[in-house]
Amino acid sequence: MIELTNLVKKFGDLVAVNDISLKVAAGEFFCVLGPNAAGKTTTIKLLTGLIKPTSGSARVCGIDVQTSPLEARQRMAYVPDFPFLYDKLTPWEFIRFTGQLFQMPERDIRSRAEELISRFHLDEYLRKPIEGLSHGTRQRIAIVSALLHEPDVFVIDEPMVGLDPQHARIVKDILKERTNAGMTVFLSTHQLGIAEEMADRIAIINRGVFAGIGTLDELRGQSGSDGKLENCFLALTSDETDADPETVPA
Amino acid sequence: MDGANAQSARAERPVSPMMLLLRVSALQIWRKFAAIRHQSRLLSLFVGLFMAGYAYISFALFYRGLRFIGSFPGLGDVLIERLLFLMFAILFVMLLFSNLIIGYTNLFRNRETTFLMTSPVSFQTIFCWKFIETAILASWAFLFLVAPLLAAYGLNNDAPWHFYVVTAALMLIFIVLPTSLGAFCAVSVARFMDRRSFQVAIIGLAGVLLVGAALYMKPEIMADDFEENRVLGLMDRLLVRTRFAHYPLLPSYWLSSGVMHWLEGGIATAAFFLLVMLSYALFFGFLSFTSMGRMFYSASSSALSRGGVFGQWEWVKKRGAQKAELSESKGLSEIVLGWCFWLRADVRTLLVKDIRVFWRDTTQWGQTLILFGLLGVYILNLRHFSSQMVNPFWIVLVSYLNLFTCSLNLATLTTRFVYPQFSLEGKRIWIIGMAPLGMARVIRTKFWLAALAALTVTLGLMWLSCRMLQLSTDRTIFFSGVITVMTFTLTGLAVGLGALCPNFKEDNPSKIVSGFGGTLCLVLSFVYIVFSVATLAMGSTGWRLRGSTGIPGVGAAVLFITVSALLLWLPMKFGLRKAVNTEL
Repeated sequence: MIELTNLVKKFGDLVAVNDISLKVAAGEFFCVLGPNAAGKTTTIKLLTGLIKPTSGSARVCGIDVQTSPLEARQRMAYVPDFPFLYDKLTPWEFIRFTGQLFQMPERDIRSRAEELISRFHLDEYLRKPIEGLSHGTRQRIAIVSALLHEPDVFVIDEPMVGLDPQHARIVKDILKERTNAGMTVFLSTHQLGIAEEMADRIAIINRGVFAGIGTLDELRGQSGSDGKLENCFLALTSDETDADPETVPA
Repeated sequence: MDGANAQSARAERPVSPMMLLLRVSALQIWRKFAAIRHQSRLLSLFVGLFMAGYAYISFALFYRGLRFIGSFPGLGDVLIERLLFLMFAILFVMLLFSNLIIGYTNLFRNRETTFLMTSPVSFQTIFCWKFIETAILASWAFLFLVAPLLAAYGLNNDAPWHFYVVTAALMLIFIVLPTSLGAFCAVSVARFMDRRSFQVAIIGLAGVLLVGAALYMKPEIMADDFEENRVLGLMDRLLVRTRFAHYPLLPSYWLSSGVMHWLEGGIATAAFFLLVMLSYALFFGFLSFTSMGRMFYSASSSALSRGGVFGQWEWVKKRGAQKAELSESKGLSEIVLGWCFWLRADVRTLLVKDIRVFWRDTTQWGQTLILFGLLGVYILNLRHFSSQMVNPFWIVLVSYLNLFTCSLNLATLTTRFVYPQFSLEGKRIWIIGMAPLGMARVIRTKFWLAALAALTVTLGLMWLSCRMLQLSTDRTIFFSGVITVMTFTLTGLAVGLGALCPNFKEDNPSKIVSGFGGTLCLVLSFVYIVFSVATLAMGSTGWRLRGSTGIPGVGAAVLFITVSALLLWLPMKFGLRKAVNTEL
């Protein structure tokens, strides 16, 4: 579903993403972790086609995001950490607008939205202007809008920011259900607990390369540390560790 | 297919993304207007009165001005024609700049654009949508500005009704050209420059244009025999100097020619110019609407990738490294304010922070520089006219006009930059509000910093204006005193109202300004300036020399000082009270 091949992105002298390759299968829940400025957001921007790679390619459902951007974006959804919403619209108007952008039939928009709105407890906010809503509520609206067209690939950056525990649980449940149904999730976060609980595979990115990648057990092996993901993360991202990208499986 | 099925199929047909965006935008605009109406009738009234007042006053001034110029025997028509050509040429350049800046922001610094780029909307559609948005944002003021002029021009010449229809059509076709060119420039700039280089380049270019204009307009020394037939000679030189506006490849030339020929009944010639403009508008519009998508995406990718092409140059890299080293040391503002031993340390820190924020936001000091730079060029040029202004009435009139312009510039800046300061500070309350500085001191510090910084510029310009007009020392002191009072009042008004009507939800200063408090600040500043200048001018000696009944000078001064003191004191008092009691 997601295929990154020898992806490189340079900002002047800085190599933000350095020759990374990756395959994420359909229905896989994939988490990307890493310290600040490690290259997570750049990888997401490359994957969603917001920026061009210096070299290499990113494919979604077998479609190159650079050569066929419309087809690729039709199959995926992206929710950034601070999503854009039209402030003067109501949540329902925004959700409907997003569905129409994805060229969904009206009845599908209604039926799918009803289910998601109810699960995210958005009913009481549907007719209120978005500008007056809290960050958590806005985040829920963004997630509902993104999931509406049932994407094959869902890219999400820090999904739990601003969400209360109840709604964080709902997000996790829905993402798990969707992955079971075949949707691929590519999630970037600093919350190790989410990765530990949800991910089928985890990648730890540091200085633009994968310092470690695999299941939690595989990461333990690669980092040489036991126990929690935190230990693996710290071991793989500490300055003393210079993980050899050659030894990290894609 | 039966009727119900056809209806259902129509309902299920996907709406084009462009139509969706237009619909959403129209809905948002409607809600904004509706919100203004619901939130405050006072604001609607203020805005309405202000717009109507502006339209009426500008129409009246244009009408009388054109009539006055038209009354010059044998020269009136030539002068009016040249004035129109010149005005449209200058407006074309201004529209181009405006489109470039707004287009850049809309295409590359806009969250909606980023959102759309991750949706199944083609880059071409996104570009077209932003193109339309930019055209409207950049051109509405142009249309608002020229409408009273063209109405006055038409009425002065007893134009038929279809003149106004054709003129409106010409205007709409015309604005496509600077928008297309501006959009192309914005895309090119984003592709090759980072934001900082772009801002510096824009300001550099504006500076070059200003200096170029100042040199080009430099008066020539006239020979003695020139005095004999001075008016004709001057006219001749004036026409030669402004001949650039008649360059036939300028879109403004097509527009001016179309408007004038239609008015004079030269329908065929006017239609020719209309078609010339239409063909260019269609050509560039077609290019923009069909072929700019990929270029836009490449430019957007470059802009999001931070590094511009110039960032790869060796000397740019070296300069970056030098700046990184310098940032370890104290900056100039910190060193200078360190000498102000009488200020508390926390107040000095706040001042240093405000100065740095202002300096690092190029758009802030760039706009200030351009506004006051233009005024400076104009005032410096006054020296060439002072010897010809022998009538005290004209000297007094010009000096008051200078006071008016200078304070208007200041009001624009205080509303745009000083008014939102408190609201922006509220957003960072965890730093400032929690410090043992106190909100009242924060506001007072901002007031003094803004007032003193503005005063150095306004006082300097006013003094320069008096020198150029060769005014006596007492008049120079008088005008310096007036601009000092006005600077403090306008700053106090902006700081006070900013604290009184804070908006802690917004990060964007321009959105803070567009609320009730910002609009009130702008309107009150404008009314105060008109009132002050009119009161003082009517009380001045020069005005009474003309025979007009003026109120006594002392009375005018007392009235001016009283109103100024009230407009400074009241907003500051209520603003301080509100700030101290604000629950953030």
